Amino acid sequence: MLKLLREVFRTGEATHKYPFAPIKVAKDFRGKPEHDSAQCIACAACTIACPPNAIAMQTDVAAGTRTWSISYGRCIFCGRCEESCPTGAIKLTADFELAVARKEDLTKTAVFTLARCPSCGRSVASAKEVAYVALLLGGAEASAEEAERLRLLVSTCPECKRKHDVEQVMRLDIERQMENR
Amino acid sequence: MNAFTSPDDLVVKPNGLSMSDDVTRMKGLLLKNIKRSAYVYRVDCGGCNGCEIEIFAAITPLFDAERFGIKVVASPRHADILLFTGAVTRAMRMPALRAYEAAPEPKIVVSYGACGCSGGIFHDLYCVWGGTDKIVPVDVYIPGCPPTPPATIYGFAVALGLLDQKLKAETYVEAEGEAVPLAHPAIPYNLRVLLEREARQMAGYRQGRDIVEEFLSLLEADDRTSVEARVGRLIGGETDPRRAEIFSRLQAVFTQALVGGVS
Repeated sequence: MLKLLREVFRTGEATHKYPFAPIKVAKDFRGKPEHDSAQCIACAACTIACPPNAIAMQTDVAAGTRTWSISYGRCIFCGRCEESCPTGAIKLTADFELAVARKEDLTKTAVFTLARCPSCGRSVASAKEVAYVALLLGGAEASAEEAERLRLLVSTCPECKRKHDVEQVMRLDIERQMENR
Repeated sequence: MNAFTSPDDLVVKPNGLSMSDDVTRMKGLLLKNIKRSAYVYRVDCGGCNGCEIEIFAAITPLFDAERFGIKVVASPRHADILLFTGAVTRAMRMPALRAYEAAPEPKIVVSYGACGCSGGIFHDLYCVWGGTDKIVPVDVYIPGCPPTPPATIYGFAVALGLLDQKLKAETYVEAEGEAVPLAHPAIPYNLRVLLEREARQMAGYRQGRDIVEEFLSLLEADDRTSVEARVGRLIGGETDPRRAEIFSRLQAVFTQALVGGVS
């Protein structure tokens, strides 16, 4: 009996104090994915990476918006979104207290505006993504003229780009050059 | 003739069971002042058993849900709380409904895990209903794949009305003229790509990014010593030989880029 009591005192209390005291989670614990919408460029990389389709993106061409949404109820906390995010906008946090009484509270949405193609006016990508890619191509030290050229180049839709290429080739006047050779 | 417009039209939508008014009132009272133990009956609706393992982890002495009077019972007839795990397979629909009917009113229904909340990774499978709330009215959702024992305890605390839920639905609208700045503008983009690629090859996407961020901040650091000396100091102070190896590889990539030139 005394031996048992000694063992009990030696072991101490193993039970965690949670929920009365915060619990320490392990390093690299994968909890609630936190979306920093200001950093997001709405490129949809996370949407494609997400195995259970918890992250989704919907494009409303008429309103000119692209809506990013996550359902924490469907999330399996695999961290693929964090891996695929080019700007580090989504990060898995140590927050595990996600229980809710209303299902609607399990979603987060972010609305982004779409950029329009300067030639045909169709929307191809979000405005932030276009700006980010132009910045990436030109670097931070591009001149204003160069930056404007890059912005035009990036925001043009693939179809218009093809059309412009053909026009460019026609302007080169290849046939005449071949005759002169 | 009925024309199907989407695959959703092919799914037979079961009617969720409706609750009568006094059951709702009784449930409200139960939630407000439950002054006795809450008995939990666990209904496995075709889960992978990960959730079950975490439920049983939550009643071990380490987390000890029984100190709050939460007790797992063997029959739905004793239960106050019904815990539905799994994405509700076709075959488990009737047994789940029987368990629901067998539990005495008022009862609290908890949907446990990503599968229970919305079907989880199985949400578009042909043989699942995709979530507990498709067949019975749910009071509390505990997301997680599986929810950890602390998340389980938190969920029960929410179900019993002891704690308030923290999560709220959010909608963010892009501000006018919002732009994302380039990370590490001082480092040439091509060099950054080389370093990131090397780190990811060595340590995987997640840890690779952490390591390369550390290395890049070292490169950007504004001090008088040379980069070699700084990296040498970092490698010297590193206790994990794997990280030290990756840092030396990154340094090799950096030196190679300096010698070969980065456009």
